[in-house]
Amino acid sequence: MINYHPTDKQLRQFAEGNISSALALVAAAHCDVCSKCQAKVDDVNLELASDIENIKAHTFSDPAFDKMLASITQLPVLDAPVQKSPRIELDGRFFDVPRPLQRFVKKTGNWSKLLGKVWQAPVDLGEAGMAHFIYMEKGGRVPEHTHRGTEFTLVVNGEFSDGLADYDSGDLIVMDDEHIHSPHSNADDGCLVFSIVDKPLHFTSGIARLLNPFSHLFFK
Amino acid sequence: MLVGISLENKFTNTSKPKDCAEEMSALLMEVAAERCKRSYAKVFGYFAPRLRSYALKQMGNEALAMELVQDTMTNVWQKAHLFNSEKGSPSTWIFTIARNIRFDMLRKLQNRKEDICSDDLWPVLCEQTPDQNEVSLDQQVTLQQVGQLFNKLPDKQKAVIEAIYIDGKSQQEVADQLTIPLGTVKSRTRLALQRLKDMLEDHD
Repeated sequence: MINYHPTDKQLRQFAEGNISSALALVAAAHCDVCSKCQAKVDDVNLELASDIENIKAHTFSDPAFDKMLASITQLPVLDAPVQKSPRIELDGRFFDVPRPLQRFVKKTGNWSKLLGKVWQAPVDLGEAGMAHFIYMEKGGRVPEHTHRGTEFTLVVNGEFSDGLADYDSGDLIVMDDEHIHSPHSNADDGCLVFSIVDKPLHFTSGIARLLNPFSHLFFK
Repeated sequence: MLVGISLENKFTNTSKPKDCAEEMSALLMEVAAERCKRSYAKVFGYFAPRLRSYALKQMGNEALAMELVQDTMTNVWQKAHLFNSEKGSPSTWIFTIARNIRFDMLRKLQNRKEDICSDDLWPVLCEQTPDQNEVSLDQQVTLQQVGQLFNKLPDKQKAVIEAIYIDGKSQQEVADQLTIPLGTVKSRTRLALQRLKDMLEDHD
């Protein structure tokens, strides 16, 4: 069951389009699987659309509009391309991903082992930040870390805990430098998450500290 | 081209929004089914001026506002068949198209390389054909790799790095523990990190 949602303010900013690309992407992926939040976004859309209808507009004929209308109606119809639903494949298992993330399945690099039972694959988001699909097998754990920037995580499939809370498919988790956590999964089927960071993580314990001097290499 | 098409119509001046939602909906379906320019002209006459006012507020610039109107209304003409009256009113559909175009326009104005586009976020219209230019991703450094390379460090450097980065000791504590000068700890740390960095780069 989904317990962690974007705030109402974030959902409104999402509907307005006044939101960072990174947050917009995980919010969109969340709404794709959370009908409650999607309904909230629909309500804001309705409200914003009625603002447009009620707007005071010049109603007299305008030559610029005449020209625009004439040029538009000369254009051909566009067909909707066939929608494909690419899935994540890992070790013979297939995972469905929320629709907003599907285009990025093709932009996902190779899987590599981060630790014994934790795998990650980088996703290039251009200037929106560095993203990874991360898969924790049962018993897998990401070393304890904090965040130099903001980390957005969407649970794609499965369950995990991080010492702060328990999460399930569809949950959206926002972490920053006030949070230290160590995500791990005890679910039989493990857990696949999608995570975006704008700055490198900072590992806080054990041998993982060795990664800190090189964390920029994670975010090339 | 404009013969028989007039921007002056009853919707523009008199109808209340709710009264005309059904009529706009019917017009959009005519556009979808028959490419009816007359029906489209009515939709355009109603929405284009309103979109311009909205766009002016949002973009604060007449040229950008008109670009937003043109792109939005072009989508309405070309993709009218994607409008589904069961999912919402014509005004909501058209607002969401305008919102998407504005989102992409603002990112383009900031000269941001294409990262996330509105079609990913709000599937109002069709999804765009996937980008064929796949980006090859740089190799990842994994903890295992770092661990292996760490083992190749000279013993003296390894001891210093282990004490600082794994045990979490300060450089002074390490100097006391190993009974070596602080400066030596600092230089060993620097050399070791440099060496690891070089090895990581060779590794690529």
